[in-house]
Amino acid sequence: MSAAAIQTTALTKTYGTKRALDGVDLTVPEGSVFGFLGPNGAGKTTMLRLITGLARPTSGSVQVLGRDVATAGNAVRAELGFLPDVPGFYDWMTAEEFLRLAGALFGLGGARLDERVASLLELADLTDVRTPVGGFSRGMKQRLGVAQALVNAPRLLLLDEPTSALDPMGRKDLLDMIASLRGRTTVFFSTHILGDVERVCDAVAILDQGRVVVQAPIDELKTTYGARKVLVDVTEQADALAAEIGRRPWASAVERDPNGSMSVTVTDVAVAQHEIPAMVAALHTGLVRMDAGEMSLEEVFVELVGGERR
Amino acid sequence: MNGLTVFARKEAQEILRTWRRWVLPGILLFFALTGPVLAKYTPQILEAFAGSQLGDLNIPTPTYLDAYAQWIKNLAQIATFALIIIYGGIVSAEVRSGTAVLVLTKPVSRSAFVVVKAAVNAAFVTVLLLVGTLVTWAVTAILFGSAPGAALWSSSLVWLVFAVLLVALMTLLSVMIGSAAGAAGAGLGFYVLISIASIWKPLASYSPAGLVTQATALAAGEPAAPWWPVAGSLALSVAFVVIAARLFRRKEL
Repeated sequence: MSAAAIQTTALTKTYGTKRALDGVDLTVPEGSVFGFLGPNGAGKTTMLRLITGLARPTSGSVQVLGRDVATAGNAVRAELGFLPDVPGFYDWMTAEEFLRLAGALFGLGGARLDERVASLLELADLTDVRTPVGGFSRGMKQRLGVAQALVNAPRLLLLDEPTSALDPMGRKDLLDMIASLRGRTTVFFSTHILGDVERVCDAVAILDQGRVVVQAPIDELKTTYGARKVLVDVTEQADALAAEIGRRPWASAVERDPNGSMSVTVTDVAVAQHEIPAMVAALHTGLVRMDAGEMSLEEVFVELVGGERR
Repeated sequence: MNGLTVFARKEAQEILRTWRRWVLPGILLFFALTGPVLAKYTPQILEAFAGSQLGDLNIPTPTYLDAYAQWIKNLAQIATFALIIIYGGIVSAEVRSGTAVLVLTKPVSRSAFVVVKAAVNAAFVTVLLLVGTLVTWAVTAILFGSAPGAALWSSSLVWLVFAVLLVALMTLLSVMIGSAAGAAGAGLGFYVLISIASIWKPLASYSPAGLVTQATALAAGEPAAPWWPVAGSLALSVAFVVIAARLFRRKEL
C-alpha cells in the first residue's frame, strides 16, 4: 500500500456553534487523483484550508506528506501547489510576473524559472496576454491560478473547485491536465460537479454536512451501489410485472421507462435475480434483458447526501 | 534569493507601480516645496489679506527656522493622518483580496510576511522623508540665503522615528482589525491619546508621546532632549511588529 499524501484523523472544525467538519477521517493515497465531492456548504473549502495550514483544527489532526502541517511550515509548503476557490492576484502584475513571483517564492530562478514560466503560460493559454491581471476575466484568473499552483512541480496539488469558472473547453483542458499528472503528483480536488470526478478521479470521498459519508476507489463505489439496481425489459405485460415486483419485500422502488423497460432498486440483488425470471415465466411473457445496472456517480451522490434536500 | 527577499522585492514593486507611488510622495513634496515659501511670505500674505486691520502689530521678519517649523508642523499633522489612513490596510488588504493566501501557501512564513511589509514600508517612508527634508533645505536656502542644517535634520529625524512608530502601529492594527477603515480609526485614536499624554511633562520627556513636541522644539532651534522618546519609540516599534507577527501566525486566513 502506498503512503498517504493526506491523512486526517477525527478532524473537526467548528465556527461558533456550527460544525464545518465533524470528525473527518480521510486517507488520500500518494499518486492518486482524488475527488473531494460535496454539495455547496458541505465543508470542502474548510477542509482545504486545514490541509494548507490556513486554518487550525478545533480537534483532530492533519498529516500532509507525512508531516504535521501545523509544525512543518515551509518544509511542507515547498511541496504543495494550491489553488483556492477564488484566487486573489496582485492586479498590477502581468500573468508572467505573477508566475515569476510564485516560482521565486519557491526558490526557483534563472533558466529553470524561465522555462517553467513559459510552459505554464502556454498551458494557461496566457502567453500573449500582456495586460495586468486586474483586467482578466474570471476564467483567465482561474487558469492563471492553476498555473501558479503547478510552478513548483508540486508533490501534492490541492485544487478548490478548479473547474467552476471555466468554459467547457477550458474545463476539458484542465481535466486532461489533471489526468496527465496521474502517478506523478497527488491531486486532491474539491468539486460539486460529479462529471469531473467521474472523468478523472481514481478515488473519491463524499462529504455532507461536515462528515465523510463514503470514501472509496471510484470503481468500487460504483460497483457497490450499482449492484443495488436491476434493469428489466420484457416483451409484454410490463405493467403487471412492475406491480408484481413492487409487492416484493426486496424491491424498494420500481421506475418505469416510457419504452417499457423498468429499473428496480433492490435490497438483495441475489434474491431479485432468482425471483424476477420466475415472475416473468408466471406471467407468460418474454424476457428481453435483465442485468445489474450500474448507478451513475450522480445517483450514488444523490442517494448518499439525500437528494430530497435539494 | 529566498522567500523573504523575493517578497520584499514584490512589496517594493507594489509601492512603485500602484497609487502608493503618488500619494505620500505627493503630500510630502508639496509641503517641502510650499512650507518655506509660506514661511518666507507670511508677513506679505497677512498684509495683503488683513491690510490696515493689523494696525501697529509688528510681524517679525521670518527666518529659516520658520521654514523648518512649517515643515515639522505639516509632518506632525497632515503627514501623520496620511500615514495612518494609508497603512490601515497594510496587512488586511492582502488578506481580504486573497493574495495573502496565495503567498502564504508557498514557503513564506507568516512572520516574514508581516515583518517584510513593516520594514519595506518603513524604508519607503524613510526615503520620502529624507528627500522631503532635502527639498525643504534647498528651498529654504534659496529663499532665505542661509539654511543651517542642524535644526532641520535633527527635527526631521526625530519625526522619522515617529513615522516608523506609526508604520509599526498600523501593521499591528491591520493584523488585529480586518477593515482598513477600522484600523485607521484605531490609529487616529492612538494619535489623539499620545497627543493628550504629551501634555504631561514626564510622559513628554521620557515616552514616545514626546516625539512630536521634541521635533517641534528642535525645528525652532530650541534646546531639546529627544533621546528617551526616540529610544522608547524604536523599542515600541519593534514590539508592535513582533506582536503583529505573533498574532498573524495564529490568525485564520
